Amino acid sequence: MKKLLKSILVMSALTLVLAACSSKEGSKEEKEPEAELIVSTWGFSEDFFRENVYAPFEKEHNVKIVLDTGNNADRLNKVRQGNSDVDVIFLSDYYAQQGVAEDLFEKIDSSKISNLDKIYDVAKAPLGEGFGPAYTIAQFGIAYNADEVKQPITTWKDLWNKDLANKITIPSITSTTGPMFLDAASKISGSKEFNEDQAFAEMKKIMPNVVKEYGQTSEFVNMFSQGEIVAGPIMGMYFASLQEAVPNAKFVTPAEGGYAVMNTVNVVKGSDQKELAQSFINFMLSTEVQEKSAKAKIDSPVNTEVVLTEEEATNMTYGEELVNSLITLDMKFVNEKSKTWIDRWNRELVQ
Amino acid sequence: MSKKYIYLLLLPGVLFLTIFMLVPIFMTMGTTFFREDGFTVEGYLQFFKDPYFMGILFTTLRVSVITTIISIFLGFPVAYFVSKMGPRKKAFLLLLTIFPLLTSPVVRSFSWMIIIGKNGVLNNILTGIGLIEEPLSILYTPTAIIIGLVHLFLPLIIITLVGVMENIEPDLLTAAESLGASKLGVFAKVVVPLCVPGLVIGSILVFVGSFTAYTTPALLGGKQRVISTFLYQNAITLNDWQVASIVAVIMIVVTVLVISLMNVLAKKLNPRG
Repeated sequence: MKKLLKSILVMSALTLVLAACSSKEGSKEEKEPEAELIVSTWGFSEDFFRENVYAPFEKEHNVKIVLDTGNNADRLNKVRQGNSDVDVIFLSDYYAQQGVAEDLFEKIDSSKISNLDKIYDVAKAPLGEGFGPAYTIAQFGIAYNADEVKQPITTWKDLWNKDLANKITIPSITSTTGPMFLDAASKISGSKEFNEDQAFAEMKKIMPNVVKEYGQTSEFVNMFSQGEIVAGPIMGMYFASLQEAVPNAKFVTPAEGGYAVMNTVNVVKGSDQKELAQSFINFMLSTEVQEKSAKAKIDSPVNTEVVLTEEEATNMTYGEELVNSLITLDMKFVNEKSKTWIDRWNRELVQ
Repeated sequence: MSKKYIYLLLLPGVLFLTIFMLVPIFMTMGTTFFREDGFTVEGYLQFFKDPYFMGILFTTLRVSVITTIISIFLGFPVAYFVSKMGPRKKAFLLLLTIFPLLTSPVVRSFSWMIIIGKNGVLNNILTGIGLIEEPLSILYTPTAIIIGLVHLFLPLIIITLVGVMENIEPDLLTAAESLGASKLGVFAKVVVPLCVPGLVIGSILVFVGSFTAYTTPALLGGKQRVISTFLYQNAITLNDWQVASIVAVIMIVVTVLVISLMNVLAKKLNPRG
């Protein structure tokens, strides 16, 4: 028994020494980047970002970018629980505002982010002074299948039409666009200011039309391409994948107004790469990156130097006029109310 | 090694379960009883008074019970058939039974979406041969959840039943027949009672599996929630671990209750089992 133990000890000591040697050798042969920047993001269009954003940034700053992917809620919760080492986090404004309220982000030194001067004013600090900018603005509007509806859909109110019984989906209240749809419901009730009770009364009326709520846009795309739904509210940036499946799909800005969904970038509190994280944000806002992602139809640009042809701008939230016409919700108000809304939504609408 | 030390073999397993299962479970339970002002069962009372939560609990129980019953009725004849086969065929058939277990529930749920969707295979066939005019709405209803769960858990009950049926002495059946029992009588009065232990274990596996399943209800279910999706919403989306823990404890208690109930039932059906 003792012999066995001894030999195991010797063996493991040997392996350790060997391992130490080999890693030294490795570092001599190829220059390993010294630093790591951990970026928490959704993970869609990863190929595009890897090639056009991460790789050039890695090269310029001699850093390795490590991704942590998942939906807004999951990733924010990881940061909340304090045992993650994320440096930069991409979040929609709804979730980012929760992070701000809970003091999870570092203040940003705007003098270090020179490209801030080039972007729309609304995108500069949507979460409050000193917090991360929006690098893209998406439009929350309506998509529908023109082959399957009797009349073209032009307003939010059209979704309440009885012809659409069991034929639409709506965003779940816990997703970024959920509160926006609730706001639209309040508008339909005829109230100028947001009226919670009237909004929920309207929501109750639309439920017979709803097949299922969607929590992730991929669910919408699936239901739409499988013919389970013929219409529903969705962010414009995903419209291209709908059109691939249903050629006669249409995206409209409802007459009552589309909503602005701002995707923001923030530096996580306690990050040991604060400088680098800010350079990364600056790079995201650069004309170069903004133009590439706009032309690839991945993210609508916020950088005003980006110029798109009409064809390139199709389905994108492009141009100051459109951006300024979008409705923005007061995310602070939304976050204060969200717990009540989620509870009411669960109790009153979901059976 | 003397007999005294043989219990040491259990140590790694017991230690693992204690640290990674028992301690977390008791910690979870503990947090649900204590608030700033000391010991309280208020959290639980609120839940049981809440018609919304009770609705979710009953939907989940109903779905799980129906899934279990359907699985028994589908699984029993199959298991009986398989257990009568020769060793080679039996091994092959069992392999086929286990095969679906090797695919992820996500993939299986998606394949059901393609089958039972509005433009799915099933509806296309039914409308094609003129049996129905409007496509059936099965997807995103509790029925879809039940279909998915039966598909998911049927292998478990078949495997446990085959194990029990193999051990039934063929002589017993011959004896019963020679004493004048009909084929059906032998099946109902000899085979079925002897299978009760397998039925109980199989049903428990199916029931607990359906009760706690997350992926299948999340993908195939519609507007109505089941308890696991409710738990997920509270823990992950709302970050409300207090409520999530209470739901988790309620799930554990319900599971234990159902298991004990089934054991009592089994004793009644087969006192010698």
